[in-house]
Amino acid sequence: MFSRIISRVGLFAVPLLALVLAGCSKAALTVRQSTLDPKGPVAQVQYDVFMDTVWLVLVLFFLVGGLLVYAVIRFRARPGDDTTPIVEEGHGNPLVEVGLITASIGSLVFIAIPTLSAIWYTDDVPVEAVPKSKLAAWYAPAAGAPALDNAVAEQVLEIDVIGKQWWFRFEYPQLGLTNDAKHSVPNELVIPKGVAVRINLRSEDVIHSFWIPKIAGKVDLMPGRKNHLWIQADQVGHYYGQCAEFCGDSHAYMLFRCEVLEPAEFAKWVAAQKQDAAPVAAGSKAEQGKNLFAVKSCVMCHNVGGHFGAGAFGPDLTHLASRKSLAGAWLDNRDLKAQRALEQTSPLGTESSVEVDRATLKANLIKWIGSSGVSHDANGKPTKDVKPGNRMHYYKMFNVAGLRETKQEFTAEELDCLAEYLLTLK
Amino acid sequence: MSHDTHHAPVASKLDLAPERSDLGFYRPDRTTGLFDWLTTVDHKKIGVLYGAFAMLYFLIGGVEALAIRTQLARPDQTIVTARMYNQLFTMHGTTMIFLGVMPLSAAFFNFLVPLQIGARDVAFPRLNAFSLWAFVFGAFVLNASWLFEFAHLAGWFDGFAWYQALVYTDFAPANGWFSYAPLSGTFGQANAALQSPRFTGVGTDFWIIGIQILGIASLAASFNFICTIINMRAKGMTMMRLPVFTWMTLFTSFLIILAFPAITVALIELMFDRQFGANFFNPSAGGQPVLWQHLFWIFGHPEVYILVLPAMGIVSEILPTFSGKALFGYPIIVFSGAVIGFLGFAVWSHHMFTTGLGPVPTAAFALLTMAIAVPTGVKIFNWMGTIWGGRVRFTPPMVLALGFIWMFMCGGFSGVMHSSAPADSQQQDSYFVIAHFHYVLLGGVLLGLMGGLYFWFPKIFGRMPNATVAYVASGLVILGFNLAFGPMHYLGLAGQPRRTHTYHAGNGWEDWNLIATIGAFILGIGVFTAFANLVWTAFKGKPCSSDPWDGRTLEWSLPSPVPEYNFAQSPVVATRDAFTEHKHGAKRISYEADGGEAGIHMPSQSWMPMLAAAGFLFIGFGMPMMSMGVPHAGWLVITGLLVLIAGIWLWAVEGPGGYMLKTPSVASAPVATPSVAPSAH
Repeated sequence: MFSRIISRVGLFAVPLLALVLAGCSKAALTVRQSTLDPKGPVAQVQYDVFMDTVWLVLVLFFLVGGLLVYAVIRFRARPGDDTTPIVEEGHGNPLVEVGLITASIGSLVFIAIPTLSAIWYTDDVPVEAVPKSKLAAWYAPAAGAPALDNAVAEQVLEIDVIGKQWWFRFEYPQLGLTNDAKHSVPNELVIPKGVAVRINLRSEDVIHSFWIPKIAGKVDLMPGRKNHLWIQADQVGHYYGQCAEFCGDSHAYMLFRCEVLEPAEFAKWVAAQKQDAAPVAAGSKAEQGKNLFAVKSCVMCHNVGGHFGAGAFGPDLTHLASRKSLAGAWLDNRDLKAQRALEQTSPLGTESSVEVDRATLKANLIKWIGSSGVSHDANGKPTKDVKPGNRMHYYKMFNVAGLRETKQEFTAEELDCLAEYLLTLK
Repeated sequence: MSHDTHHAPVASKLDLAPERSDLGFYRPDRTTGLFDWLTTVDHKKIGVLYGAFAMLYFLIGGVEALAIRTQLARPDQTIVTARMYNQLFTMHGTTMIFLGVMPLSAAFFNFLVPLQIGARDVAFPRLNAFSLWAFVFGAFVLNASWLFEFAHLAGWFDGFAWYQALVYTDFAPANGWFSYAPLSGTFGQANAALQSPRFTGVGTDFWIIGIQILGIASLAASFNFICTIINMRAKGMTMMRLPVFTWMTLFTSFLIILAFPAITVALIELMFDRQFGANFFNPSAGGQPVLWQHLFWIFGHPEVYILVLPAMGIVSEILPTFSGKALFGYPIIVFSGAVIGFLGFAVWSHHMFTTGLGPVPTAAFALLTMAIAVPTGVKIFNWMGTIWGGRVRFTPPMVLALGFIWMFMCGGFSGVMHSSAPADSQQQDSYFVIAHFHYVLLGGVLLGLMGGLYFWFPKIFGRMPNATVAYVASGLVILGFNLAFGPMHYLGLAGQPRRTHTYHAGNGWEDWNLIATIGAFILGIGVFTAFANLVWTAFKGKPCSSDPWDGRTLEWSLPSPVPEYNFAQSPVVATRDAFTEHKHGAKRISYEADGGEAGIHMPSQSWMPMLAAAGFLFIGFGMPMMSMGVPHAGWLVITGLLVLIAGIWLWAVEGPGGYMLKTPSVASAPVATPSVAPSAH
């Protein structure tokens, strides 16, 4: 009998212990999307409140759970027990009841206070963070770029995040990087280190959610509504984010990245984003690819600064070849083996990142463009697709004026040329 | 016009003369076998049917869960497509909540409530049958979406014009059990035919109409139980003498009638958006997607307590029985149930902490959510108080009830963690949440319900399940469950989002996902073993005495299986837990001089509840088929409405019927003698 109880307790203890052990390894706590490895004040505050709840719960767990185990063992039926029934009306003991209720409420106050303080702290950029975070305090436009408007210089950096099925578009209206200005940034957010940034969230179709676990907890992108949060990252590096609200077929493929740069580097990056694409060499494969880009109607959705300016619906491709990921950050353009090795040796851990690997990028481009076009069988059903339901080449849903149903198919030769062209878009 | 009850009492319904109803049809009173089950109005048989269907859907939902876990066992797997995965988790959640846990709770309500309050049936026996069949047909409609999906995948629809015109071809719902608009709704402007563009296909329409039908079933059943508990109690069975399970049934019924109207309205609005060009949730036409979330969760959160309160009631019956001691703090347990039910309507926005409510509502809902932990904690303290000073006998139901307390406590603790909104912003929509609510709903509710099955099975079938098999099954369930869902706490904190059909290697999620999958299979084997054990017992198990556990409530005073009239003479009780004291010498139950030679009035069986409910079958197929663009599908809906109306009308005019049944004389009033309590294993 007793051994049965012990073994039952063991049943609970084993996974718990395993969990605790897993939690003890540093590597397990600092994985790419860990919420337990905060790298900025917002995530830190959320982590601190979380740990308050953990301690409270652990104490209660061992207290109440321990009492329960004690009661079950202590009051178990034994052979030879008195068998007369224990007849009493179960009124309980008012003193015990009231005492326990009071204790429960008291223990909740322990987490209620930090919770309330954190709710207001994480809601918007704190006033005390503005002086050091306003653009004038850290942003120096690169040589040749126009100076900031005085009113703008007193603001903190604002970034508009626009969610779509299934990718994110980032715009920096104060710095002239917007979709309207043909300079938007898809899927790879770039922010300066050490300053507060205000994020405005909008959605153009369904609900999405913006989540970079190491920098801040999530806030939803609600269509028809303007949400916001503020973030700050205190360590440079490459961070991983993901859409956290179910948004349809390819929800799992809606990822994004966040690159945290030193403020000076950030200014250079802004300047680079405003550069147009370089002309392609005449007679090259890339030039054939550029022609295909126009002929195969890629141009209808995608902007390529300096080459094609009509597209506004799909991701801006002007700097495609400089991005470390593709297809809503699902396909990684880096050498993954080198990346893993770096993560294990670099002091930055999972925030360190190798550069884009040209061969991987080309393979990804061919896979992505190729599968999206030909992945629908004769009946139009999706087969093996990098992102099922994506709008590239298969445009039945928004079958409205000007955007007829298109279904492009590519030969291997054409894909190669197209990829060569896209590789020139640094 | 005949007055059916004037006939002389008969010993068995098979001795009845063939009897025509006021409509001129023969009443199905004398049927046996299948027709008897289809036309029954006996709360016990209806309870058994609820239970059988619930177990079937538990297994279907379990298979869906295992498919999900198989897909996630390793990174970058392509065992199922993204679409199929989304359909699997949608149907898994919907099935487990609406077709598994709720009907299994309803099975207990049906079987136990009249027995526990000393009544001969529920207040409205035919309405009860209607609830059952509405549930059965609603569940069928929901799952028939899979048949359409498979037909679509097999290409059977290829030749049809309506099929070729479809933009979205998900036939099984792929919108999640929460069905957030606008993903489940529409965008843009409606065309001349009042059709708006949508994000999902007819799967969502199946889901909408299926849930709507199930809601009607639940509402009808709840009104029935409220009337039964308020009006049909035996003499002396005052409210504060009710068994706690009956109390929890009452609260659950109130929660259902207060919570389901919200989802009913929301579903109608969504249906109008999708099928008739309305714009309730369409942001491009000024609709508010967040309105759906408010309507859904003001239903959805009380729904959690609708699932959990019956299990708490069951545990509150099992613990005193096997502790040999009255429930500690009975009034406080009852009132904390009421407080939980009340506060359950005041915390819905904690499901929406990340939707940008603003700090004031976020703070209010965070504090209210913390507050609801207090009455829940009170229950746990009182259960412990019940064990304290008792003599704890270990039996399968007791082991499962103790497992319930433990697992539910863990789920409650992670719930307290969620109540802190800033912490929740990292946990929301991650695997941490999956861990949390599976500890509540599986570790809590399922263990409680399994405990209830093992506890009352001897009463239902008069046969005792094999204890060894029961222990093995319970052990597998508890082990597998913790192995499957324990690691998900870590996975969520490591940033793995829910509802994603795959993930890359390199995020540190691989190992724990594999372990979770192994755990899920162990859990699956455990649940299957338990169910197989129970089904086998129902037919072949060892007969047992009428009071094998030394029970405390009135149902244990009856023979097993319970006769169709329940109580040969109506009991009059003098105290709470009257049967315990009565068995042990104090005379706490007396019997009224009804029944006997004069007979007991039994209600007539009827086809009409099932006929009326069958209207839902036509409506349930018609609405999605209209949405698919199948020609003339609207007539199917109209047919369904006519069948429903005709069924109800015929039901009203066929006359009440009824007959008198002879029962054993007062002298042999069934006061069971206490059997030897099973020795501690």
